[in-house]
Amino acid sequence: MKKLIALLLALVMVIGLVACGNNEAPAADAPEAEAPKADAPAADAPAASDEKVTVTMIAAQYGNETADWWVGFEEKFEAANNGIDLVVDVVSWNDIYTVVNTRIANGEAPDLLNIDVFADYQADGLLLPAEDWVSEETYAKFFPSFLEQSIVDDVVWAVPDLASARALYYNADILEAAGVEVPTTWEELKTVCEAIKAYDAEIYPWGVDMTTDEGQACFAYYAWNNGGGFVDEEGNWTLNSAENVEAVNYIVGLVKDGLTNTDPTTETRYDLQEMFASGKVAMMIGPNQISKYCEANGGINYGIASLPTNGDKAGASVGVMDRIMCFDNGYTDAEMAAVTAVVDAFYDDEPYAEWVLMEDFLPATSSGNELCAQANPGMAAWIDVIGSAKFYPAAKAEWADVKLGVIDVLQQVLLGEDAQTMLDDLQADIAG
Amino acid sequence: MNTSKPYTLVRKAEPYLWILPSIILMSIFIIIPIGFVFRMAFSEVTKAGLVKGFAGIENFAKVLKSAKFGLVLKNTIVWTIMVVVLSTVLGFILALLLNNEFKGRKIARAIVVFPWATTLVIQASVWKFIIDIDYGALNTLLKTLGIISSNVNWTPTPEAYFGWEIACGIFVTIPFVCFTALSGLQSIDSSYYEAATVDGAGYFQQLFNITLPLVKPSLTVATVLNIIYVFNSFPIVWTITKGDPASRTDTLVTYLYKLAFYNGKQGEAAAVSVIGFLILLVCASVYMVSTLKKGED
Amino acid sequence: MNDNIRVNWQKLLSRIVLYFVVALVCITILYPYFVMLLTALKSRTEIFSINGTVFPIDVMWSNFADIWKKAPMAQYMLNSIIIAGGSTAIAMVCGIPAAYALARMKFKGQTAFLGFIIVSQMFAPVVLLIGIYKVMQVMGLTNSLLGLIFINAAFNQAFTIWLLRGTFMSISAEMEQAATIDGCNRIQAMFKVLLPVAAPGIVTTLIFIFINAWNEYTVALCLISTDTIKPLTVGINIFNGYNIIEWQYLFAASIFAIIPVVILFMSIEKNLTSGLTAGGVKG
Repeated sequence: MKKLIALLLALVMVIGLVACGNNEAPAADAPEAEAPKADAPAADAPAASDEKVTVTMIAAQYGNETADWWVGFEEKFEAANNGIDLVVDVVSWNDIYTVVNTRIANGEAPDLLNIDVFADYQADGLLLPAEDWVSEETYAKFFPSFLEQSIVDDVVWAVPDLASARALYYNADILEAAGVEVPTTWEELKTVCEAIKAYDAEIYPWGVDMTTDEGQACFAYYAWNNGGGFVDEEGNWTLNSAENVEAVNYIVGLVKDGLTNTDPTTETRYDLQEMFASGKVAMMIGPNQISKYCEANGGINYGIASLPTNGDKAGASVGVMDRIMCFDNGYTDAEMAAVTAVVDAFYDDEPYAEWVLMEDFLPATSSGNELCAQANPGMAAWIDVIGSAKFYPAAKAEWADVKLGVIDVLQQVLLGEDAQTMLDDLQADIAG
Repeated sequence: MNTSKPYTLVRKAEPYLWILPSIILMSIFIIIPIGFVFRMAFSEVTKAGLVKGFAGIENFAKVLKSAKFGLVLKNTIVWTIMVVVLSTVLGFILALLLNNEFKGRKIARAIVVFPWATTLVIQASVWKFIIDIDYGALNTLLKTLGIISSNVNWTPTPEAYFGWEIACGIFVTIPFVCFTALSGLQSIDSSYYEAATVDGAGYFQQLFNITLPLVKPSLTVATVLNIIYVFNSFPIVWTITKGDPASRTDTLVTYLYKLAFYNGKQGEAAAVSVIGFLILLVCASVYMVSTLKKGED
Repeated sequence: MNDNIRVNWQKLLSRIVLYFVVALVCITILYPYFVMLLTALKSRTEIFSINGTVFPIDVMWSNFADIWKKAPMAQYMLNSIIIAGGSTAIAMVCGIPAAYALARMKFKGQTAFLGFIIVSQMFAPVVLLIGIYKVMQVMGLTNSLLGLIFINAAFNQAFTIWLLRGTFMSISAEMEQAATIDGCNRIQAMFKVLLPVAAPGIVTTLIFIFINAWNEYTVALCLISTDTIKPLTVGINIFNGYNIIEWQYLFAASIFAIIPVVILFMSIEKNLTSGLTAGGVKG
């Protein structure tokens, strides 16, 4: 007994020592890991002989290969740019807000950040205008319509890193077996759903995601295809418009009629995607990644179409765009040049196309477009879709509240509340 | 300890030296961060998380005014009471069973330890996986065994979801309670039971008159810490429902997490955590005054 | 005669009930692990197939091999062991003297200190993140294992001190006093006399801290950004992508994560219960 204790205590002590030792080790083995902190005080002190400029970046983890890709990019970039030390920290989407907010609150914002939102950072004066850190040559590559999404006070504050658009995915075999055509209007959609249900009650005709994850997309799918939406032409919030109320009632109606997956408030887009790929869900609205996903997992016979609209109202796809932004960390000229070098290297046609293809998104630059369309013919159609897509009003300061607000409205109405009342309350809350 | 000796200054200072390392450790790494929470709760905080100045009780007023807060608080209380009470009762019964001599007891005890040795995020993910209506393991198993013929929806209502979350919370808390209770049971002198048997006391009489009173003290500290941990538990609810639908399954911690990191209202989130702290403080004080004082004397 | 038979019957029946209930409990507890293991052995397609089976149709042992290729699992595990081991060491070094003082000395503010310990536990780690990061920043400990070791040690002080205080109080002070008369000072007496006797309680505490530190996720997530020093809990997030969650890998990795802890437990189970006894009764 005593021996065991002694052994354990000894073990714990040894591990403790190793830990202390190990803490030093990465600093020596991998200078890039500790360098940013070490550099900060060194900036005031007399510079060492050949000091490197460090650029820190937090990048969102889109897929399984994201982290590896950035490691490769770092290596290539540092080999080509001797004086620059690039440190990229890849963080999963589940955790990225926690990580970024914690760092910003402590004044340790990264130099570059790859994330979806930007307005909150801009509102606090934390960002630099894109013109300051994006070279003219790179700036010219972006689609103007994409850059417009990041404008506040007539200044572009972030550049798009990639985009994605949504379309209707359908299981062609199920539709054929049920003897129906691909729906183009809400009315048809309901009829088709009923036909599929009559053909096989085990299949969910329509996939719906109203979760905290992406419920705002669900709201947009129906509001935008009913002439409604989040804002009017002048950019005022119009959350309780008659079109929006009708849209909410329509989609909640489909759920209540049993034409959808059972748990729209907890089943996320990923769950739907799994069920679509296994033939359990017949139709769903989703991003272009579903194609690759279906092909890799069993290969159902799927097709893609535009989102159904209410009657003959104008349709719109839902576009999603992520961004790269630069925090104002008081750069010297050399540091600013280093940041620009990183951005230029990232948007260089070849690595950029490689990255977009790997992540299976849509490119945000014209030259990237061409390369991607060459490499993947399926993408060409999507690039058209994104051209007609509407984007969330993410540049508005209230967006975060609106986003959670509409999700809450969908969930409340599903639980039996009245759509008009709920949307009125939300509108009063946001705009009132 | 000899208290009649006159205390010198050194002797008086000595105990404080002994507790000093612990105080330093906790002060730096816990108390200072708690200070930051209080500062935020009373400050105006921007969406990006920068503190912009004193806000008085504005954050608290906003939180208390919110229609959701009452619901969330009610959920938190239900969650804490259900998980703590049921895990304590079940853990105690399990400890009574495992206190018997039987073949395979060592293995059984090792198995009971399993849920404790797994990260909560993973535990919650597995449970979510098990109760899923479409590809859930429970439906598959019951279908294979021929008990059901088509998939059962285990979570038809928000309340059902919350029930599963509570069950999951109980599941992961039982080992802790079980081992604490088991230790208390093993320390009971068997002569008590022999005497009681001679007096003709039955099993349940012995349980209520001997076992329970003697095990109680070993469970009290564990229970207080348990209440605190369960009250502040985050991964189970977050992984299974994220508080959906419409906050019906939110607890204070998931609610404030959404406020802070989804809504950019870190000041209000800090205010929620201070309110939670005050609730726990009141409960703990009641405990301190009653149980601890009794124990000390 | 009749009575004897009845007593025997009763005994047999209670045995049967005991075994039945214990077996039921064990099956319930093991069920999620059973699901985890079988899911880890399935292919993606099979996991989400409409006509799922309990056992995998194609047993994919390769999933277990794949995770070692797709992520530096060995490195993550080593980091976790260092963090858990280091936290345990520091928590003990700070906690044993404090528990000793609480159990063996009388001083002003004793109750206040016990209260302070409890109060320190009342905020969820996720709330404290910003403050913790600030402290680490000042100390230069962000993105280091040492920072995580301190945090976990601090988080576990409450349990350590309360448990050890109970253990020490349940042991008579006479032997230490005898040792003091023999010329030991207080520290020597503690090491030579008290600690060996309190060994079971100490082992118990070690296990508690080790497990808590092993499972810690939130703080590690925010403090560590370099992949090579991530603990297992954070590292396996690599299987949790934007578009795809690789359940089979996530579960396979989680099974590996359980093994060290369960081995530690089984080797120490006997001491654990007797240790808690001492800690509990006077607690």
